[in-house]
This record gives sequence, C-alpha cells and structure tokens, in this order.
Amino acid sequence: MHTVAKLIDTTLCIGCKACEVACQTWNDQEFTLGTFDGSYQTLPDLAPNFWNLIKFNEFERGGKLSWLMSKYQCMHCVDPGCLRACPAPGAIVHLKNGIVDFNHDNCIGCGYCITGCPFDVPRLSPTTKKVYKCSLCSDRTAVGLEPACIKTCPTNCLTFGTREDLLEKAQSRTAELQADGVAAAGVYNPAGVGGTHVLYVLANAARPEDYGLPRDPSVPLAVRLWKGPVKWLGSLVVAGGILGAFFHYVRYGPKKEHADAE
Amino acid sequence: MQSERRMARFDLYERTVHWLAALSYLYAALTGLALWSHKLYWLAWVFGGGVTVRGLHPWGGTIFAVVLAVMFRKWAGQMKLDTDDREWLRKAHKYAVHEEEGVPESGRFNAGQKMLFWSQALATVLLFATGLVLWWPEVMPRTLRLAAVLIHPLAAIGSIGGIIIHIYMGTAAVPGALRSMVQGWVTPSWAASHHRKWYRESSER
Ligand code: HEM
Ligand code: SF4
Repeated sequence: MHTVAKLIDTTLCIGCKACEVACQTWNDQEFTLGTFDGSYQTLPDLAPNFWNLIKFNEFERGGKLSWLMSKYQCMHCVDPGCLRACPAPGAIVHLKNGIVDFNHDNCIGCGYCITGCPFDVPRLSPTTKKVYKCSLCSDRTAVGLEPACIKTCPTNCLTFGTREDLLEKAQSRTAELQADGVAAAGVYNPAGVGGTHVLYVLANAARPEDYGLPRDPSVPLAVRLWKGPVKWLGSLVVAGGILGAFFHYVRYGPKKEHADAE
Repeated sequence: MQSERRMARFDLYERTVHWLAALSYLYAALTGLALWSHKLYWLAWVFGGGVTVRGLHPWGGTIFAVVLAVMFRKWAGQMKLDTDDREWLRKAHKYAVHEEEGVPESGRFNAGQKMLFWSQALATVLLFATGLVLWWPEVMPRTLRLAAVLIHPLAAIGSIGGIIIHIYMGTAAVPGALRSMVQGWVTPSWAASHHRKWYRESSER
C-alpha cells in the first residue's frame, strides 16, 4: 500500500498563515491569544489547541535579516518515538497509510510521548489531561481529501500525495533549485527516525537547525533502552524472582527452628 | 503445640507502619506495572482504568514514600551493620540453603533484613525523585525526563525483586515470621533459632 505524505517546499512559503487558520478551523480548535514577543510568528510554540505553527526563523547574514520559513507540526515518523513510549494500548495508532494518530479515548495523559518524540511535538492539555498534535487530518485523508493546511495553501508550498511521489518531487525540486544557483538546496527526510511522512525542501539543507529542525533526530537512546533491555530485565527479575522463590521452597523447604529456648 | 511463652517482637506501631507501607506499596507497584508493559495493561482495568491509574499511581507512591519515611525514623537506628552482620553477608549463601553452622548469630534484624531495609530506602528515594519528574512532564526539562523514564522503572525493578524475596521469606520460608508482623509475637525457640542475639538480650532484660 502506498503511504501518504506532505511536502513542504520552504522556498515557496510566504508566511501567510492560511494553513494555521485552516488547521484551527477544520479541527475545531479555539484560538488562545499568546503574548506578543516581537516576532511575526502567531505563537512562540505549539499548544494543545494549536498543532501547526509557521515559524519565522530569523536569519542574519551580512548585516541583512531574512526569514527562513518553516512549518512546525508532527512529522509522522516512520519509526515514531511517541508510539514506542506510549503505555496505553490504542492511544497512539500507526495507520497503514503512515499517519501517526492520537486516539483521545484511549489516551491516559501520562505524557510519555512528549519524552519519546524527537521533534518535541505532542502537547499535554491542562484542562482535558490528554495529549494533542497534528493528525495529518486523518479524518479527511480517510475519505480521500487532502489535509486542511494543504487544501488552503495559496502558493503550492504544501503538496499532498503518496510518499514515493513526493520524495521524487522533492528531489526534482531540489535539482531545479540547484540549477537556479541555490547550491545547498536539499531534502529533509531524517533517517534516524526511519524517514518521515512530512518532507521538506530546504534552501540550505546543510543547516536544518536554521529552520528550527533538529539535525539528526532519532528516538532517544534512553527511550530505546527503557522500552528494550530495561523491559527484558524487568521480566527476568519478576519471573525469575517468583519462580526462584517457588523452586527454592521445593528444594530446601522452610527454615527449621534448630535451637531450643534456653 | 505446647502452650508456649510469647515474646513480643513488633509493637502495634511497628506493625501498623509496616502494613501501611505494604498496602501502599502494593498499590503503587501494581498500578505502576500496569503502565510498564502493554501485556500488563489489564491491571489498569482492575484499578479503575488507565486515566484513574495515571492519576492515582503518583499519589499512591507518595503515600508509600511518606510511610517509608516514618518507618525509616523508627528503624534506621537498628539497621546499622555490625561486624557479625558483615560476616553473615559473606555466608549468606549458606544461610539461604539452611546450612547455618558458622553463620554468625543475628540481632533483632539479620543482615539480610538490614540490606533489604537500606535498598528499599534507596529505591524509594529514587522512585520518589524520578516519580515527581514523571508526574509533571510538561514542566520538566527534557534531560530530567529522559533520566526519569530509565531510573524510575530500574528502581522499581530492583525494589520489586527485593520485595519478592521479602514476601517469600516472611511467609513460606520462615514459619512464624508472618505472625510476628500480624499479631506481634514469636515463640522463644523461634527467637533463639533465628535471632539469637536479640533473644538473649530480650531474655536478660
Ligand atoms: C514514590 C513515589 C512515586 C511517584 C511520585 C511515582 C510516580 C510515577 C509516575 C508519575 C509515573 C508515570 C505514570 C503514572 O502517572 O502512572 C510512574 C510510573 C511507574 N511507577 Fe511510579 N511513582 C512512585 C512510586 C513507585 C513505586 C513504589 C513503584 C513500585 C515499586 C513504582 C512503579 C512504577 C512503574 C513500574 C511505572 C511504569 C514505569 C514505566 O512505564 O516505565 N512507582 N510513577
Ligand atoms: S514527530 Fe513526534 S509526535 Fe509526530 S510521529 Fe514523530 S515522534 Fe510522534
């Protein structure tokens, strides 16, 4: 089965924020005003009721300030750290089409996914005590519609399609940019998480951190140990302890009172 | 059974504290284990569902930590290891298979019990400190959270391993031990057999 993806061509983003509005509207989120901190960004950060943030990364070169636009939302990892960390069966669902979806009926609000996520995406709501993030509009894609942000984007900065097609498209767009003299152009599809279903074309792919994207994201080592060896060790200790005690009794029996009272 | 003399071993205060610790520990351990593995998630339903378990486990753990602090105040002074205890630990493998010649006599608590006490105290400090981090992930720095998701279960594993041995010793392996913690008394020959130094001190008094 072909998996779906979203391609973000950051060179075409004009910072209109239409996608933010579309996301809020489709997902029926009420907007909470933030504080003005001197930036053009809508909010400094994602929020439980704000899943898609256009970042106006301020970039200075030769005394000139420019914006490196990027879009901050769930990356829909091929190997999702959030899913590995989640203790509640069915709270995080990895759909066949590649989307990583949160099912709030099963979410218990522990926040482990926040620690598992290499992109710092999920946000815990203090009111509902559940965790929220972009679903890549799983409710729209399920019926053959494109995600709301993509539907609304006026510049074709955002495109929706199969992951295969979009990887190809990202490559050809990169070649086009390089031919136009943007030598450092490249694709962001980090291998450390097995690739992502949200792909970027960056004008300077050598420095993703300028776009607010981590350079080599991977599921944190602590999380992999926690859900791997530590878990095996736990099973060993509990099973070994119970069996060990039982067979100790079978072999040696109880302690006798060997001494008499004087 | 002959109508035996009874020796007081644990007073009401000690017994109450012990069983409060046991109950709160059991609750914290079982609700913690529910979230430890998907295979144990059925435990969450036993305790009222995942949301309830997530909400109440930290409170159960906190109650346990408080009770353990009370227990610590009461017993820490009696848990210091003396030279006999160190020798006992070197011979623990012989004690474990009931070959007790050459194993030094024990006081009110034997060296194994003392080690359990100190290791549970340490585990509880670790569980409580990392538990606080897991309680409010949204305000905790990432490095602390990454440490906590490793240390909390590791401390729990160490602690549960110790408790399994403790429960086995206290019930099946040493007849009479459970009654000493429930009703508070032991027979003189029990004391002479398992805690001879304590037996002598108590009989002298
Ligand atoms: C001392 C106070 C304690 C606090 C504040 C605390 C807090 C927490 C928190 C916040 C979590 C995350 C999930 C949840 O909220 O249910 C957790 C998980 C857990 N706790 Fe505790 N806890 C404490 C004591 C204990 C004790 C005594 C045990 C058992 C020996 C224990 C075993 C566990 C286990 C096994 C997990 C799941 C760990 C995992 O998935 O890696 N905790 N604890
Ligand atoms: S970006 Fe974070 S929340 Fe999204 S799938 Fe990856 S790990 Fe999960």
